[in-house]
Amino acid sequence: MDPLAAIRETFFQECEEQLAELESGLLAMEGGDRDPETINAVFRAVHSIKGGAGAFSLEALIRFAHVFETALDEMRSGRLAVTADVLKTMLRAADVLADLVRAAHDGAQGDDPRAAALADELKAMSGAAGEDDGGEEDWGDFEFKPQLVAFEAAPAPTGFLVRFKPRHDLYAKANEAALLLRELSRLGDAQVELDTEDLPPLGELDPEAAYLAWTVTLNGDTDETTIREVFEFVDGDCELEVTPIGGAPADPPAPDFDLSALLARVSDGAADDAPAGDFGAPAADGPAAEAPLADASVVELPLAANRPAPEPAAETQGLGGHRKSEAGATIRVDLERVDRLIDLVGELVINQAVLAQRVMEAGLARASAVAMGLDELEQLTREIQDSVMAIRAQPVKSVFQRMPRLVREVAAMTGKPVRLVTEGEGTEVDKTVIERLADPLTHMIRNAIDHGLESPEKRAAAGKPAEGVVRLAAMHRSGRIVIEVSDDGGGINRERVKSIAVERGLISAEAQLSDEEIDNLIFMAGFSTASEVSDISGRGVGMDVVRRSIQALGGRITINSKPGKGSTFTMSLPLTLAVLDGMVVSVEGQTLVAPITAIIETLQPKAEDVHSLGGHARVISIRGGFVPLIDVGMALGYRPEPLSATSGVALLIEGEGGARAALLVDAIQGQRQVVIKSLEANYRQVPGVAAATILGDGRVALILDIDTIVAVSRGELRKAG
Amino acid sequence: MTEPKTIALADSLDMTAAGPLHRELLEVRGQAVTLDGAAVRRLGGQCLQVLLAAETAWAADGQAFEIVNPSPEFADGLALLGAGHLAPPGFAAAPFVQD
Repeated sequence: MDPLAAIRETFFQECEEQLAELESGLLAMEGGDRDPETINAVFRAVHSIKGGAGAFSLEALIRFAHVFETALDEMRSGRLAVTADVLKTMLRAADVLADLVRAAHDGAQGDDPRAAALADELKAMSGAAGEDDGGEEDWGDFEFKPQLVAFEAAPAPTGFLVRFKPRHDLYAKANEAALLLRELSRLGDAQVELDTEDLPPLGELDPEAAYLAWTVTLNGDTDETTIREVFEFVDGDCELEVTPIGGAPADPPAPDFDLSALLARVSDGAADDAPAGDFGAPAADGPAAEAPLADASVVELPLAANRPAPEPAAETQGLGGHRKSEAGATIRVDLERVDRLIDLVGELVINQAVLAQRVMEAGLARASAVAMGLDELEQLTREIQDSVMAIRAQPVKSVFQRMPRLVREVAAMTGKPVRLVTEGEGTEVDKTVIERLADPLTHMIRNAIDHGLESPEKRAAAGKPAEGVVRLAAMHRSGRIVIEVSDDGGGINRERVKSIAVERGLISAEAQLSDEEIDNLIFMAGFSTASEVSDISGRGVGMDVVRRSIQALGGRITINSKPGKGSTFTMSLPLTLAVLDGMVVSVEGQTLVAPITAIIETLQPKAEDVHSLGGHARVISIRGGFVPLIDVGMALGYRPEPLSATSGVALLIEGEGGARAALLVDAIQGQRQVVIKSLEANYRQVPGVAAATILGDGRVALILDIDTIVAVSRGELRKAG
Repeated sequence: MTEPKTIALADSLDMTAAGPLHRELLEVRGQAVTLDGAAVRRLGGQCLQVLLAAETAWAADGQAFEIVNPSPEFADGLALLGAGHLAPPGFAAAPFVQD
């Protein structure tokens, strides 16, 4: 990828983060959060997007971001009251901004009529409707002067000393020092002085680095805000000091809260050590304060290069320092590198297991130095594996955050007022799981609103509040992540579900089904309960697709529905797709792995508990109940005749929907964590087999797909019965 | 003494030109050099860095380093960036055409 395209890509990645930040901030405010830092964060997000868009000349995006930012600024300064209506508009503006960012990403540059309409609303809100249409000219309205008392008392400066030193990033982001100096020189009579102090000898020079600094003496009718605006888009990518000269007050302009300074502090430059102290530095400095105010002294002003950079601690405003530590705390790493690392660690785990097996085979004592060393190695390997997995772990927030917008849109389309409640956003799960959660979740939430919630009239009739509630919750439960989507609607209409299933030939009219089985019918392919295919859910994607995508992730989905109270869809997913805790078993000389999460208990079947139903179908009685007994060897075609139940071991498992079955295997070898190797990626999908792994002795073992095995044998059981 | 080596500067001395210019200058290090600036339409900070470092290097080598025929835009760019001394005397800076 050429460097500019790479920078552009980074910009869009950052935009996504900013958009998420923006939305969560606005939602927090909707929830009553009035922390000024929240408003600042929201403002900062839009501002950063505008800044980046400026660098890439994304006009439509700049224009809208600018109007949005202006409105947010009004809100930040307290001139625009934070009301529910205002926040609703802001949230819609955030949606439009997200669309514009995506459109820009795809290379579209046209004007979005929605953006124009919303821009007008925003302008009306910020009282700027009467002004021009938000070109660069009106960027000056940002200027706000709450503390100007101090300034006005002091003589106005006759000019400014601007010291500007680009960093590498400034050039790397395709900005140009010459253009900035050009802009600056338009503000008045400018005298440019070049500082080549840091310039290395030609042989050592990196032509793409930044070494030069400039000091511009600017005389004319301008102010610090205007000067800083010139550098707005390179904020964080350069060192910048603006010092008033000739009439500068000797005292620092106290808590100088004008916008540009605030921008300088809060603006989200690329992660770097931006000594945002630049604005805090000037007047407080001894020599400047002592210098006579005559402009002759100006040249004597010490420049940043000649004195220690201001300590972040010296900043009166802690924000800059705060951001600094934040910026240093994260790095952006290409996902491929992490995947490669995970793959290698997987190999390491296997290798370590192989080694352990060899040591066992060599007959070395458990207490021998080699065996002990190996134990330590195993510990370490485990830790490395956990740490590497943790790199990939991300809070589900990134997916949850997309949902409020979806809810707003679906609510608007269906005309049902909906409130989305999210819980457990910080719950962490592997990134691949998160990525693949977005589609099923989107569909389930659409369903919950479209099919789950009743119309406002029906709700009123049922004595429920008009506003429906959709709850999205995530939690960790016994080594898995559980995600629940629930609504407080009417629950599943089982009568109708059943009659539709009969109508579509999915079940026979005489079938006796439990409530749970009826509920599960909605997961059958081609099932749709909406009498007319609606715009929202009826896009040819049914709950069957949702279930399949959850199963593909090694997860399960269950429904719990109460008539009149609502439905809850519960998804249980593995935390990672890379490793699995498994029960290693033998079947007909083959080694197989059963995922431990599905196993409830293991038992030795007694002859009197096993009952034949004719054919090869058998059931086993466990504590008074009967569950099907499935011979894994038969199910996978390892043997033509079933194993005698008493000579094997049964694994009592719970499949999807909570249905139980007992899997009969020859013997249990033990329990161990295995590294999952995709069978689909390396061979092809095999029914009854979820994936494969490599064991300590180097042999490949298949990982059982328990749900498929149960489903297949259930079908046979039905045939037999 | 050999004729000074002449290098014709590219029309756009922006960030992408800094690397090639740097290499080009390193190749002719040790001999007198004349840079022809007639074609230059714009000058960026990074190319200026290369030119300034080269000027110093040539001075250290005791070799002649000269910029000739600067286009008005080039002369203006040098002046704007505070490096007007690189342009031969008598070249008035013209308005920089940039928009």
